[in-house]
Amino acid sequence: MDELRRSYHHELDKARADLAVLAAKVAELIPQATQVLLDGDLVRAEAIISGDADIDASAVEIEEHCIEILALQAPVAGELRQVLALMKMIAEVERSGDLVANLCKAARRMYGHELDPRIRGIIARMGQQAQALYATAIEAIQSNDASKAAALDDMDAYLDALQKQFIAIMIESKNGDVDLQLAVQLAMVARFYERIGDHAVNVGERVMYTVTGKVPDHSKPKRPKVQLDEAGNPLPSATQEP
Amino acid sequence: MTDDNVFTTRELEVYYGAFRAVREVNLDIRRGEITAFIGPSGCGKSTVLRCFNRMNDLIPGAKVGGKVEYHGIDLYDEQVNAVEVRRRIGMVFQKANPFPKSIYDNVAYGPRLAGVKKRDELDQVVESALRGAALWDDVKDRLKESGLGLSGGQQQRLCIARATAVEPEVLLMDEPCSALDPIATARIEDLMQEMKDRYTIIIVTHNMQQAARVSDRTAFFSTEVNPESDRRTGVLVEYDLTKKMFSNPGDERTEAYVTGRFG
Repeated sequence: MDELRRSYHHELDKARADLAVLAAKVAELIPQATQVLLDGDLVRAEAIISGDADIDASAVEIEEHCIEILALQAPVAGELRQVLALMKMIAEVERSGDLVANLCKAARRMYGHELDPRIRGIIARMGQQAQALYATAIEAIQSNDASKAAALDDMDAYLDALQKQFIAIMIESKNGDVDLQLAVQLAMVARFYERIGDHAVNVGERVMYTVTGKVPDHSKPKRPKVQLDEAGNPLPSATQEP
Repeated sequence: MTDDNVFTTRELEVYYGAFRAVREVNLDIRRGEITAFIGPSGCGKSTVLRCFNRMNDLIPGAKVGGKVEYHGIDLYDEQVNAVEVRRRIGMVFQKANPFPKSIYDNVAYGPRLAGVKKRDELDQVVESALRGAALWDDVKDRLKESGLGLSGGQQQRLCIARATAVEPEVLLMDEPCSALDPIATARIEDLMQEMKDRYTIIIVTHNMQQAARVSDRTAFFSTEVNPESDRRTGVLVEYDLTKKMFSNPGDERTEAYVTGRFG
């Protein structure tokens, strides 16, 4: 059989590729924002914050492209699911870009404060894990790969555990002289990383929807929690089923 | 077969002479629903549609195999009267085909054949059928004029009124809108929704968006090439709820057809 409606399929592929590129831009900014936090680099912080407008503009452009495809081509079946998933994923990626900018805004507010080495260590790990989640989400988008998408949930469990450990360390050090303003900012930093991970998971769910047609079900039981050692390394799960 | 099924086909096949046009069709048509048949030309969808009111009897050399049951009764049993079948199972064709008679006589034709003689009774049947086909307001002042003087869309609605005047249970529609403009098409589609409470409707359509818009269930037919004879035989590929067929079909061939990806 010959392929028909080729230019329309080209448009669909282009919208998906554009989203993958946008997600890659956000993913590249995650380690940069982490470095900004650790080094107190206000120049770099400013560049990332002002660059968010470009990400927002690209997101609007891709969304308009999707609307055009819906209006002019009336996609159905797998192609309809692809466009609908793209529309949802654009919002996830755009919001992740905002969170990266928020990390840099937090760095500005924390400027001049010395960070506890353990806190620095966990910030670095959260940055790495959030970036790893995004890298996997991008691969899932690029090839509509359901297995990549399915891996995101487990990867996110580790990021969630890091966030919890981060907060626990802050509470432990309360007897010292942690500045309240600093503590609030740090709690938000941990939250921003954790939310970036959640958005990557949501992207994965939409890839799954594209492939299987199943709308994500958030009422399902929660995934098992990951336990960490003192240095923030995941411990082997004690409750794993044989 | 449950009470909800108007038709059940099992291993239905139709031959035109030695040529097998369609094979092994297993379908349950539900009461009070609109079922759409879609598929490329030559896939057998109109052939299967015609089996439901024995229109294939009229085609020389046509032979129907397997089973077609109407409420559990074998439609092709020798005892079954084909004329009675066609009274209960009406048909509307691709090209509107009013008789060269007045609008009134077109609609009154079936009831007269069925023995309705009284003028006021006939008047009532004609008005009710024309109202049911959303045509009454357009034609009530010119019932004596020729049906051929109406627009294409009005003629098609006249044919629907004519088909429904004998109070059938089922309406078979073979591409009823393919000769109509979008507005006339939308009128027929609206009419189908209104008639759904009273009739079971099966529609053959080339317009996939029409199938998606109007039907509850969709059957997708395709063709298979016989390598020996190089002839094409129609097969039923997939039959499911329309919302499933157009959002997440189970068969790759359905996906390829409804998206228009391959031809």
